[in-house]
Amino acid sequence: MRDSTVDSPLVEVLNLSVRFPVKRGGAFGRTSYLYAVDDVSFDIRRGETLAIVGESGSGKTTTALAVARLVAACDGEVKVAGQDFLKLDDQALRKARARLQFIFQDPYSSLNPRLRAEKIVREPLDSMETVPAADRQGIVDKLFKAVGLHPEQQRLFPHQFSGGQRQRIGIARALATQPELVICDEAVSALDVAVQAQILNLLKALQAEFDLTYLFISHDLGVVQHMCDTIAVMYMGRIVEYADRLSLFNSPKHPYTVALLSAVPSVDKERRAETRRILIPGDPPDPVNLPPGCRFANRCPVAQDICRQTDPALRSLPSGHRVACHLVSEDGTPPLTP
Amino acid sequence: MTDAPILPEREIEKARHPLAEAWEMFRRNHAAVAALIVLALIVLAAIFGPWIYPTDPFEMVWAPFSPPGADGFLLGTDYLGRDLMAALIHGARVSIVIGVAAALMSVLIGVTIGALAGFYRGWVEELLMRVTEFFQVLPTLLFSMVIVALFGASLPMITFAIGIVSWTAVARITRSEFLRIRQLEYVMASRASGTGNRKLMFSVILPNALPPIIVQAALMVGSAILFEAGLSFLGLTDPNVVSWGQVIGSNRQYILDASFTVTIPGVAIFVTVLAISLVGDGLNDALNPKLRQR
Amino acid sequence: MAPLLKVENLRIELTTRKGVAPVIDDLSFELGAGESISFVGESGCGKSMTALGIMGLLPEKIGRIASGSITFNGEELTTASDKRMRDLRGNEISMIFQEPMTSLNPVYTVGEQIAEVLRAHQGLGRKAAWEQATELLDAVRIPNARGRVGDYPFQMSGGQRQRVMIAIALACKPRILIADEPTTALDVTVQAQIFDLLNDLRRQTGTAIIMITHDMGAVAEMAERMIVMYAGRNAEQGPVEQIIDHPRHPYTRGLISCVPHLMKVLTEERHTLTEVPGIVPSLSEFGRDQCLFASRCPQVTQQCLDKRPPEMAFADDQRSACWHAEDI
Repeated sequence: MRDSTVDSPLVEVLNLSVRFPVKRGGAFGRTSYLYAVDDVSFDIRRGETLAIVGESGSGKTTTALAVARLVAACDGEVKVAGQDFLKLDDQALRKARARLQFIFQDPYSSLNPRLRAEKIVREPLDSMETVPAADRQGIVDKLFKAVGLHPEQQRLFPHQFSGGQRQRIGIARALATQPELVICDEAVSALDVAVQAQILNLLKALQAEFDLTYLFISHDLGVVQHMCDTIAVMYMGRIVEYADRLSLFNSPKHPYTVALLSAVPSVDKERRAETRRILIPGDPPDPVNLPPGCRFANRCPVAQDICRQTDPALRSLPSGHRVACHLVSEDGTPPLTP
Repeated sequence: MTDAPILPEREIEKARHPLAEAWEMFRRNHAAVAALIVLALIVLAAIFGPWIYPTDPFEMVWAPFSPPGADGFLLGTDYLGRDLMAALIHGARVSIVIGVAAALMSVLIGVTIGALAGFYRGWVEELLMRVTEFFQVLPTLLFSMVIVALFGASLPMITFAIGIVSWTAVARITRSEFLRIRQLEYVMASRASGTGNRKLMFSVILPNALPPIIVQAALMVGSAILFEAGLSFLGLTDPNVVSWGQVIGSNRQYILDASFTVTIPGVAIFVTVLAISLVGDGLNDALNPKLRQR
Repeated sequence: MAPLLKVENLRIELTTRKGVAPVIDDLSFELGAGESISFVGESGCGKSMTALGIMGLLPEKIGRIASGSITFNGEELTTASDKRMRDLRGNEISMIFQEPMTSLNPVYTVGEQIAEVLRAHQGLGRKAAWEQATELLDAVRIPNARGRVGDYPFQMSGGQRQRVMIAIALACKPRILIADEPTTALDVTVQAQIFDLLNDLRRQTGTAIIMITHDMGAVAEMAERMIVMYAGRNAEQGPVEQIIDHPRHPYTRGLISCVPHLMKVLTEERHTLTEVPGIVPSLSEFGRDQCLFASRCPQVTQQCLDKRPPEMAFADDQRSACWHAEDI
């Protein structure tokens, strides 16, 4: 079943857009559209982790939901192992869902409170019917072990678990159908720091054990730095910078990325001493009435006239780094440094 | 393979079913438990009463207006000399059956409409909610009187008349619960694992939406009993069946001379409806997860 | 010089269904005027409870101060009358909360809400209070304060609402500002702005800040001293830099190393994160005569299970409640 060509990426997302209708001015107002995700493209190689980072309203979660077809995209393609996920009919989609699973943010609302843990983990197997019914219990047993839960705990209800344990159940459920791509949407942000470390280590171990590919959505740059191979930075529905881990964290190009990284508090004394904190004042523009130029122009400390007039496209630099900013020079010198 | 620790975070608790926990909460509400006992007695009387107390409530057994206790009639007799005790016991059946049946009917209609509206959104929701609003603004008593007057005062028709005017509250509750729950992550997770719409609606969302619906249904049994009493007081009832409202209605001219003929069935209605409300209140405590936490 | 706030052997008890539990157990610390101190720990360790205890806002009938003392400016707060506490709150000691969405009243404009505090505590007239509310909004760096003072909370972003909360808290020039996870609900760029604002305000007005957080990075950024809380007890306290460089309690060390931090230069190598296994014990286990961290500690010995460790003092007033503090 799996794609034989090793080099082609497992996931290819091309020009993905998601828009939501917004009604303004009461019942007879005009309907305009909010582009939560606007022309986003990326790909993920098998066994690797791509992180999408951004702040609230950046569209990172909507992107993840659209990739999984949990919200409808209005344009674009999502190819998983060559198969366009967005064009499948209902029947085919239900089958294809086995290859792509989701881990949710909130360990409290992501488990059905009326089902026992074993049933929650079994549910995907039961609805997809990819495995004969007799084998399913064995798979559930293995998954419980893999995520570090006691076999006796299978009979418990969600409210009898702690937050970290609930997240383990959510992970076991996501792995039940042997997916290739797992989307982790802020999978650890609701957890206490000590528990967060347990879950991050677990995710890493499972990735190695089951050869998983992760799409990792997070606002926590420390966590992203630890987990991913490639990063896409989103701002107001667009990818503004896209690069591998070392290149992005050690030499960010886009002024927004620079400001974002400089804002992260750190325990590293040297980093604190040498990083100038760049404050970006104000708020993002109204997403329904976007200005003509760069979406970051109104908060950018180095914005020029061109930024307010022309929308910058995402372009590749010689180093392979991709950035959407007029002011980054051809050789990749950023306009703003921390 | 993983180095994740096996966590003895809490001792393995005994797997308790949520229902067991709900009962635990219910038991703490003493008024509700007392009301439940009273209600159980009333229901038992309604079921077995006619065997224990076989006197025909339509038979004239003694002089009219015998006060309670006189001549061996525990609750006295009415204006035709019929035994009030017999009327009370036989009437319990009708009142409770109509109450429960009408409540069931409105739950059935209300849940179906509310679930469809809350799950599908869009034009389905628009249409169904406009229909709901239409029924909501109808003058309920008048509308059910018209139905009974047009189609005859049989018990099923009375039940229908009550049910058809009282489902709107259930529909609204169901819809709002569906709207809330459909966007919770476990529903998403279920969808992501390929669960179909019908299963999502009825086996994933509905069981989680049930608590407030059950509470509403319990309260509705009470209001349906009152409704039935109102209709039979106005004479819109099956003349061949005795019910509490009907007893009040037929004795209403003598309220000054023999007030007990009206008061006794009135108290019966009052006690039953109060008991149902208290039980509903207890259910609310028991099923409301916000109160259950710690 | 006497400290501004002095907490000694504080014990706060909470009545639960399972009995009485000490949510704060023998906690002592001092806060000087204009100083900045941080409480760190996982949820359920009693950080917020300490703040509520100081504010006199413990949950009624359930929580009470069982023993110990809290002195503010030489005045004992544990025995102060309700009226006196009401005078102090919002005036001398104020507090901001985590959730800027729900801590403002949606039916009044932000100007009215700030002015209300000024009129109640400082007896200002309507006009003077409004005037000062505008100035305060300007001080917390809301652009075009004069135009925004008549806005309702829903017209503002999360960061702006938190600024309004800070303006309300600072309206009466308090001596102490308690900030309970003030930026947890906010984006990181907004958090940087709020931290910047709080630091500047502290420098300008000399208000001491108690910040409650779970983020070691934020502590390093904001505080001079920190107190690591575990299961209602002080695990370790002392100067921030010194503790981060050389923690003397295994819990502190766990908290620092279980988080993937951004370093100055990122390298190819990635360590497995140090795990602190398990979770915080439940309330019913608080108060036992043993080290409550023992069940999660990699260095646990029999001594830790037998007796509660005393606080051991090190240089620069670093104190650690661990039997093995010297060896760490």
